[in-house]
Amino acid sequence: MVPRSLFGNARKKIGSASRLRSVAMGVAGLIALCIAGQAQAAAPAGCAALQTKYPDWKGKTLVNAINPHTPGYEAIDPKDPDKYVGFDIDLGEAIGECLGFKLTYKAVTFAALLTTLSSGQADIVISDIYATKERAKAADFITYSKVFDGVLVAKGNPKKIDGINMSLCGAAAAENTGYVEVPLVQDLAPKCKEAGKAEPTIQLYDNNANCIQAILAGRADTYVNDVNTVDQAVKANPDKLEKAIAVTIPYSVGIGVPKDKPKFRDAVLAALIEVQKAGIHKDLLKKWELDPNNFKEPDILTAD
Amino acid sequence: MSLFLHYLSLPYLIAGVWFTLAVTALGLVGGLLLGLVLAAMQLSRFWLLAAFARGYTIIFRGTPLILQMVFAYDALPQIGIKLSAIGAAGLALAANEAPFIAEMLRAGVLGIDRGQVLAGQALGMTPSRLMRRIIAPQAIRTMIPAFGNETVSALKNSSLASVISVQELTLRSTQLASSTFDFFSIFFASGLIYLVLTTGVSVIQLLVERALDLDRPATANRFARWLPWYRAPLVLGPVAGKPAAHDNEQAPSPAAPKDVKASRADRTKRSATLAHNEIVVDVSGLYKAYTSQPVLAGVDLTVRLGEVIALLGPSGSGKSTLLRCINHLEGWDAGTVKVGGRRMGFREDGKALSPRALAEERASVGVGMVFQQFNLFGHLTALENIAGPLRWVHGVSRADAERRARELLERVGLGARANALPRHLSGGQQQRVAIARAIAPNPAVLLLDEPTSALDPELVNEVLEVIRRLAVEDGLTMIISTHQLRFADEVADRVVFLSGGSILEEGPAHEVLTRPRHPITARFLNVMEADKPSVAPA
Repeated sequence: MVPRSLFGNARKKIGSASRLRSVAMGVAGLIALCIAGQAQAAAPAGCAALQTKYPDWKGKTLVNAINPHTPGYEAIDPKDPDKYVGFDIDLGEAIGECLGFKLTYKAVTFAALLTTLSSGQADIVISDIYATKERAKAADFITYSKVFDGVLVAKGNPKKIDGINMSLCGAAAAENTGYVEVPLVQDLAPKCKEAGKAEPTIQLYDNNANCIQAILAGRADTYVNDVNTVDQAVKANPDKLEKAIAVTIPYSVGIGVPKDKPKFRDAVLAALIEVQKAGIHKDLLKKWELDPNNFKEPDILTAD
Repeated sequence: MSLFLHYLSLPYLIAGVWFTLAVTALGLVGGLLLGLVLAAMQLSRFWLLAAFARGYTIIFRGTPLILQMVFAYDALPQIGIKLSAIGAAGLALAANEAPFIAEMLRAGVLGIDRGQVLAGQALGMTPSRLMRRIIAPQAIRTMIPAFGNETVSALKNSSLASVISVQELTLRSTQLASSTFDFFSIFFASGLIYLVLTTGVSVIQLLVERALDLDRPATANRFARWLPWYRAPLVLGPVAGKPAAHDNEQAPSPAAPKDVKASRADRTKRSATLAHNEIVVDVSGLYKAYTSQPVLAGVDLTVRLGEVIALLGPSGSGKSTLLRCINHLEGWDAGTVKVGGRRMGFREDGKALSPRALAEERASVGVGMVFQQFNLFGHLTALENIAGPLRWVHGVSRADAERRARELLERVGLGARANALPRHLSGGQQQRVAIARAIAPNPAVLLLDEPTSALDPELVNEVLEVIRRLAVEDGLTMIISTHQLRFADEVADRVVFLSGGSILEEGPAHEVLTRPRHPITARFLNVMEADKPSVAPA
């Protein structure tokens, strides 16, 4: 009898305990949700209205094509390589939160970003891609950031390179396939020739790491790219690399969306405006130690 | 070093291995299936299929895999086929591997000795049965090293899937390098992981090669020996036993030679009897030409039940071609061949039979054939060479086929070598097995195409003795092309002398051989006699 009653009691206790626990968990979950919402400072005031106006993407999971080789903007988290982290990642998620969609990521080479988008394998591209008229033939862009490039050179700048100018004549520049800096350097060739100097040569690689390695290995003299990327490289190799100078480039960074979805483009633009209004954009620049001067009010760039 | 070890054991990289393996597996399995189709098309009798396969091979072997990957990933969605990244990578790799695998398969199939294929056809095996029982088992053995190569190359090629966002080892390594700047430790680690994978492939290749090695004794504990606690048995296996290769497998001794050398009177009586027997083989007006050069210029020949015909004539006189036409291993241009009253190679309405129907006809009419080069199936034991075709073609049960095969091996004096592979038998022994194989289904007629020409002189007699006994004891109808004149005299009822594709002379064996009427026959017989050491010792 005794064991039996003990057993009965125990069961009852387990039953009530589990009920209690589930209630506790529910409450905890609710609190967590609230805190999370506050921490992200998301759901800016206008977002609810946007979700009513553009309901098509609410509750959906969209694919963001990225070239995750740009620490600070998009790269895998060295502490947890299964996650992507960076300014673009956070900004994309803030926009998604505003419109009610979640993002998954598809890692491709830089040159494949827009083909991945136009073939329908991705829904959006937020990957530090400069919006140019040329690229706008493949996708519509919502611009969100000004561009400052850094000129990465070997420590001591042996070739005395000081920008995308005549100092590059005869030098070897490492660049990523498809980057806007490629034509800028190419345009120098006739000018160098006119001045009786050797033309600059370009080595094409398919990610930042390879471009940086080209300088470390002495194959290339310079790598001109986004100033933050250059700063990160210098930080990782302070004895071997330095930033010669920062230059402005006449482009903006843009979010790429499919050309045949103007409604989605407008929704992203509206969400970005809300995100900027709520101060999230500037907070994120600060969080990722990016130059606040990058901030730019959004615009649309299309082919025509 | 510690960074290297850190990356080597990083779950993120290890997980990338699974994507690498998944793409490789899809590519190999898909490539094998597609390669089988391509190889079959290229080997097909229909030129359109072969041309299509050729075109496919040119395109997919001639363009870079990286383009094919991008195409499968980015271009196919334009026509509504949206595959996952792994699916697209697997498809591209499969499409790319297929032509290479197809060429391997084709080389393997074409590498099989033509003679074995002929022998299989002569035994009435349909093309598909030939492929399954004779060609494939031997071709697969020769293809394993090439397939190992292809697997390693596919494994490495899977790294190109990184361009279309498959999270495989290479893509993960580059991403990790971009975010940590630990370029070299990461790539050394992923390089080592690739090495481990490719080494694994090599080990599997070696194991498969071992498992399929015909020369290894088949033991039940084939895999047990790899276990650490396995101890080799003290008693040596069957390899070391049976040192006697020749003494107990001698050819059957000439049984009662007096019976064989029948008297003149007996032979006359015999030919009178034979003349009333039914006709087994009826060849009329057989004409065949290679590029307007006739090899058979209108041959007429009838063979009656129980008759033994010796086909004589110089090389190139058309003896082999005539035998192959009787079996329809070769086609002809005009004339008819009837075996057992049936017109070979044609349907009732006169249309030519398909290879499959032809094979079935050969089996049902019953024309056995023995070749100059023996043409035993190289991967099968002596016993299986005989029993196999009985089961596959004639549907004999396993036990009955084996009993029949053992009985025949005893008769040709090879009962003790039942489990020997052809390559472990002497030429004479191989030819005796080949004869046993040819007579196993009780054919209506046995064709022997220079059965002793490829043998060393000391091995000729053991084979002739077997044939002699078939003629005398079994009364088997036979057509033998031979250069052995004395044998022809002893065994044949009739000699048919061919030259330049026509029959110059035929008649009772002894008469033609001793008193030839045609000058060419006489000259030929003179030359052959002169070569015989017994007549003209050196």
